[in-house]
Amino acid sequence: MSAALTSEVTADLQAIVGEQWVITDPVRLLAYESDGLTAYRRPPGAVVLPADTDDVSQVMACLAHAEVPVVPRGAGTGLSGGALAGPDAVIVATPRMNRIVHVDPENRLALLQPGVINADLTVAARPHGLYYAPDPSSQSACTIGGNVAENAGGPHCLKYGVTSRYVTGLTVVLYDGEVLRLGGLGRDSAGYDLTGVFIGSEGCFGIATEIEVRLLPIPQATRTLLAMFDQLEDAGEAVSAIVARGLLPAALEIIDRETIQAVEASIFAAGYPVDVEAALVIEFDGIEAGLDFEAEEAERCCWEKGAREVRRARSEEERLALWQGRKKAFGAFGRVAPDLLVQDATVPRTRLPEVLRAITEIGHRYGLRLANVFHAGDGNLHPNILFDRSDADELARVEQASREIMAVCVEAGGTITGEHGVGLDKRGYMRMVHSRDVLEVMRATKKAFDPWGGMNPGKVLP
Amino acid sequence: MNSPGVALADALSGKRDLLLPCVHCGLCLPACPTYVRMHDENDSPRGRLYLMRAVVEGRIDPAADAFQTHIDRCLGCRACEPVCPAGVEYGTLLEYARAVAVAARPQPWFIRTLLGVFQRPGRMRTVMRLSRWLRASGLAGLGAWIIPRRWHTLRMGLAMLSASGGGKLRRLGRRRRAAPTEASVGPPDAYSALPDTDDKDEVRPARVGLLSGCVQAGLFERVNDATGRVLKANGFAAVTPSTQACCGALHSHSGDLEGARALARVNIAAFEGADVETVVVNAAGCGAAMKGYAQLLADDAEYATRAAAITEKIVDLSEILVRYGMRKGAPIWARVTYDAPCHLLHAQGVAEAPLEMLRSIPQLELVELKGSAECCGGAGLYGITHGELAQSIGSDKVDAILETKAEAVVTGNPGCMMHIGAGLLFRGAGIEAIHPVELVDESYRRGGLY
Repeated sequence: MSAALTSEVTADLQAIVGEQWVITDPVRLLAYESDGLTAYRRPPGAVVLPADTDDVSQVMACLAHAEVPVVPRGAGTGLSGGALAGPDAVIVATPRMNRIVHVDPENRLALLQPGVINADLTVAARPHGLYYAPDPSSQSACTIGGNVAENAGGPHCLKYGVTSRYVTGLTVVLYDGEVLRLGGLGRDSAGYDLTGVFIGSEGCFGIATEIEVRLLPIPQATRTLLAMFDQLEDAGEAVSAIVARGLLPAALEIIDRETIQAVEASIFAAGYPVDVEAALVIEFDGIEAGLDFEAEEAERCCWEKGAREVRRARSEEERLALWQGRKKAFGAFGRVAPDLLVQDATVPRTRLPEVLRAITEIGHRYGLRLANVFHAGDGNLHPNILFDRSDADELARVEQASREIMAVCVEAGGTITGEHGVGLDKRGYMRMVHSRDVLEVMRATKKAFDPWGGMNPGKVLP
Repeated sequence: MNSPGVALADALSGKRDLLLPCVHCGLCLPACPTYVRMHDENDSPRGRLYLMRAVVEGRIDPAADAFQTHIDRCLGCRACEPVCPAGVEYGTLLEYARAVAVAARPQPWFIRTLLGVFQRPGRMRTVMRLSRWLRASGLAGLGAWIIPRRWHTLRMGLAMLSASGGGKLRRLGRRRRAAPTEASVGPPDAYSALPDTDDKDEVRPARVGLLSGCVQAGLFERVNDATGRVLKANGFAAVTPSTQACCGALHSHSGDLEGARALARVNIAAFEGADVETVVVNAAGCGAAMKGYAQLLADDAEYATRAAAITEKIVDLSEILVRYGMRKGAPIWARVTYDAPCHLLHAQGVAEAPLEMLRSIPQLELVELKGSAECCGGAGLYGITHGELAQSIGSDKVDAILETKAEAVVTGNPGCMMHIGAGLLFRGAGIEAIHPVELVDESYRRGGLY
């Protein structure tokens, strides 16, 4: 592959999308050298901002012809470095493609362009009594296209499932500009589930330019509990107890002391008690009848596992504040340390307490500040390592600790990513969880979509 | 003190600690009016912070086109601050970045001239007198109509001037009518010239200082007069020290931090001399600037403490009126909508007080404005310096206003009043942008409180 992003190529790109939508000035490209994970910095060769499927198709054909690799990018909120391109690749970014084509309340579907912001979809659906269920913490900024690429999750995916459960159809542009229509209203089951294969492909198969998603009716009522624990592991035990009792909460989230303190110092302070080791947020939703019973049962589980206090959100405002605090935790760490590495591993729920203990121990051993905020119900851990990049020694310890945390999770029967994707960051861990044969099938699948290998090169596969 | 050049070059580096909290999470992107229109991350808060950081780290030259363009293109609306989980002090950083940008590459002559005028009261008065003449003679309005679009700066300037004239308030909502929806309408117990009893615990300050402002004093004298009357009717005697100057907001927003500091020192001395516990400001931009004096003069040995003390005393007019309870005037049977000035909502965090002020007016119907929290594109001199983009932003604002079918749009900042007013004028909408205190004043006047 000989990449050649010549001035003729950029001129061709400008002719397709318009001069102002192609960025080539090296200073302006700096803003695109990282996504939400700043540990990696690589400015792209250019950034192209197409307006629709047709633009994307022409851009891809042009770049394939010139043998220039392509990296798709949404809002750049990803946390695995998946939207990074090197100087010989071009970023194709979707923020201009931000139209909600339609909301179809009869079929409970919506058709969107990939640059639509996750939370905006729910705003558009709400007048019809509907909403879009997957709710990644960055939902106020992240795009649906990025959600499809990463098969994004979120706190409420415990009950409702991740993005793949909601995407019913896709229009996809392949590396050479070919446009495929996968799935879609009423014709989604004949043959192999290519829609399913594409979701979570992290920009390595193509670019989704139209996305059809399923909407759900807004739950009639909710109960939100906040349980406080003096031991992080106790909170983990309570999670297992709740599930073992046969309850199905919409969300089960654990926030540790370090995280609570960061959130409570930010403008999203929600009244989390700053003197406990862990807070467990438990939410039930659905039909009003029965919710109180479920909430009481969950409360009992918390008491049994040694909760210090359990309280209920008294109003919708209080409930929303608790969720705001939880969802903005990542950014709030910015106040605590200049740099942040958020890990994303999943372990079997029953192993949570011991894994949490091990992670805490690793943090101590390397002298690092660790903060845990995670989707406990799914066993989806997010240990955040707080550090300062300018301290080379600390950076080295961060990398070492990060690797050990991964190993602990994998050993406990878990995997290396719950929802953030493999991207650039976790490529090296892939062999920890997949056999050579599985990786071979992945490689073959990638080849079926992208035989030349120009789509988001250097990501996912080791 | 260092020479301005050296001080400015160091300014941004000195603020590295303010830059570090940005973790690049991107939650600010959708809140930024320029990003949602330009779609370039360099036109987002995160992108601009990244450019600033690149300057601090010595990776780029502040004279680079990209740094100049994108730092300049920021509205300074600070809508990114309330959505930032890391609490990045974007507004402060922007001022330093502007200072660095301007030091690397001087601004156009007309901006420098304009800022100079604001620093010299004599020239300011002359310019304002000339402006009022242009406005009163109808030449400003005429010019805005006949001047071709390509002379945008002049055309916009004249339209803004023309729109600042007001004049429709006296006829607004005189006729009794049925209120369409109960919820959005002010207290129905209407017309009472009697004051509410002061049942708040706090002691009402008898004397308050009042910032006259420069645009406010020059073009919106009626707003300052109304402010004085409404304060008096509510038991506050307003004093306006004659030694006060321009607040310096335009200077700090344009990167002239030394100019802003000089003006801040003048105002600090002026209000110290007035011996007041509270300084009332009726222009959101000025209020935000004065609430920032402590930060602006933090490194000034002589003024740091004094600046901090003044900062504590600054309140927006709506804040003081609502805090101590307001008297009620006569009903105004009109439908109005409220646009939040960025420097009140985002910079000062004052959201409810102006709305409460309006709800105190009997029978006034207050309808919600879609996108009220988003900048109107006025942004100080932005409407003039960034014609095309400002008009695109302003045009969306005017659309939203017209959709409400309101008979007036209410907003508490002269820049917004003029920019929105100009937008309405170009559309021939026939409605005005007015200051909340004007409506309260009119209600008091009709109620015979004066």
